[in-house]
Amino acid sequence: MAIQPSPQNQLRGARARKDGQAELWRDLTALEHLLGQQPMISTTRGDIVSMDVEPVHLLTVCRFLYHQLGFNLLSSISGLDMLDHLEVVYHVRALSRKQLLQLRVRVDTQRPEVESLVSVWPGANWLERETYDLFGIRFRGHPDLRRILLDDDFEGYPLLKSFQALPPVVKDRATTQIDPNFAISERFQTRHYEQGAATRVGQGKEERLHPGTPTFGDTQGEL
Amino acid sequence: MATESRQSIEHPLGPISPEGIKSQEMFLNMGPQHPSTHGVLRLVLTLEGETIVSCTPVLGYLHRGMEKIFENRTYMQGIRYTDNTDYLSPMLCEIAYAGAVEQMMGLEPPRRAQYMRLLVGEMQRIGSHLLAIGTYMLDLGAVTPVLWTFRDREGMMSLFESLAGSRFTNNYIRVGGVLHDFPRGWLAECLAWLDTTEKNMRELEELITGNEVFLARTQGVGYVDPQQALAYGLTGPMLRGSGVSFDLRVDQPYMAYREVPVNVQVRQEGDCFARYHVRVQEIHESIRLCRVAIENMPPGAISAHGPIALRPVRGETYFAIENSRGEYGFYMLSDGSEYPWRAKMRSPSFSNLQILPLLLSGYRISDAIAIIGSIDIILGCVDR
Repeated sequence: MAIQPSPQNQLRGARARKDGQAELWRDLTALEHLLGQQPMISTTRGDIVSMDVEPVHLLTVCRFLYHQLGFNLLSSISGLDMLDHLEVVYHVRALSRKQLLQLRVRVDTQRPEVESLVSVWPGANWLERETYDLFGIRFRGHPDLRRILLDDDFEGYPLLKSFQALPPVVKDRATTQIDPNFAISERFQTRHYEQGAATRVGQGKEERLHPGTPTFGDTQGEL
Repeated sequence: MATESRQSIEHPLGPISPEGIKSQEMFLNMGPQHPSTHGVLRLVLTLEGETIVSCTPVLGYLHRGMEKIFENRTYMQGIRYTDNTDYLSPMLCEIAYAGAVEQMMGLEPPRRAQYMRLLVGEMQRIGSHLLAIGTYMLDLGAVTPVLWTFRDREGMMSLFESLAGSRFTNNYIRVGGVLHDFPRGWLAECLAWLDTTEKNMRELEELITGNEVFLARTQGVGYVDPQQALAYGLTGPMLRGSGVSFDLRVDQPYMAYREVPVNVQVRQEGDCFARYHVRVQEIHESIRLCRVAIENMPPGAISAHGPIALRPVRGETYFAIENSRGEYGFYMLSDGSEYPWRAKMRSPSFSNLQILPLLLSGYRISDAIAIIGSIDIILGCVDR
């Protein structure tokens, strides 16, 4: 089977994508009547249309997208730690229009809460649980907001930039030799916790800092 | 007669009829070390006799914090870790990661590299689907197909070994192109392997597709309607088995797929058999695509010239490819440094598994095995 040389085909594809985006852009501006303000639309790298949504408008916007514009497949939900605030990024697809749209919601770090989208796309269930698990963002109206990948009794949210895991604590003797009553006491546990926090091993710490340079062992600041 | 005699049983609480036997719901823990859950998936099933009332999947036994690892590795180092997410199609995962970085940098790999990626990607899809079919038949009690499919997959593995240096986690795709060009005589060997596989596939289909036991266990079992499939975010053979024609190679063509047309394989039934058959058809389609790629393999460079230390300009992108299980994508955000600020993985297995409780309720335990196998999950991809 012979294949035509590339440039024409690629150009045709690119033009079709551009036209589709212009159409999507026009459709999204119709949201102005619904929200009472101009929607914030931009494009990311790779020409993906991206829209910033206020947390209060999220559910309205998503219902509009689902019912009016035919965005019927929720691809992914990503949490994002931007240090001064958190973000939730949604990628939704319209199969009939062959379009991809990115929604971005800004979340406050102190009260990380967003509306749940399970009522629009049931598939949001696990995706939101995952975001809650790794970022601690709570989804209002979610039917079953539990941790999904990590243990139920895990402390902290590991994908936050502020998360620092403790290196494994080397105990001076086997745990079984400790008096069980003492082992479960608060004093014993906090002692080991603080000890671990004080003696962070170099490489582990350096690797977790971002952006960092890879180090080979703790250099104590001198090379 | 038998029922009458049973009705006349003397019981301290009065006569008992077979219809009215009091039974209790039972919890059954399936997994995480169960051979038919394809990894470390744990299902907590509530049973009423043999019938499944509800199911709660428990995940996370293979959680390695991939997304945190990506944040602590440079862009080139990250490619190696994608191999361990969907470990049955590592080449495709690498293509997704490299493609996301390329899209963020505005880098277009040379045409030859695109065709090489298409070729190894389609070979990987064949291998992955072969394994999916083989282990699925093993779950249903047939041992022969798994030996046959492993034999055919072995050809792909040794070809990859001579190309990339390792059989399983290849680490072959690079940002901007691929690592090595084909060794001398590799394409001829690949063609020979394709011919053998195509011949063997016909044998395999004769063995499986018309088999009455197989049909009885898969037809009408685990039905997903198209609306439900879309609502739960299913992609790949799960979605195409339900009659929705969605394939990223066609709907949002990337790299060489912009030039090579793909025939989407769709079945309308939405049951386990439909999903199996979509995979079989996709193997044939992938064999055709491999031949097209070899025939039209353009000359030229295999990699774009780029800096060794990649520092994409501040920005974000989302790039998804059609993995053998569905939409496998990366949402990437760069802060201008050598490390990605965020690399979120969209895993098809995670989304596909979500519909399992809905699928299982009402079916028998033996059907549960057939249904889980037909979803074709990879726990490395679910738990990340």
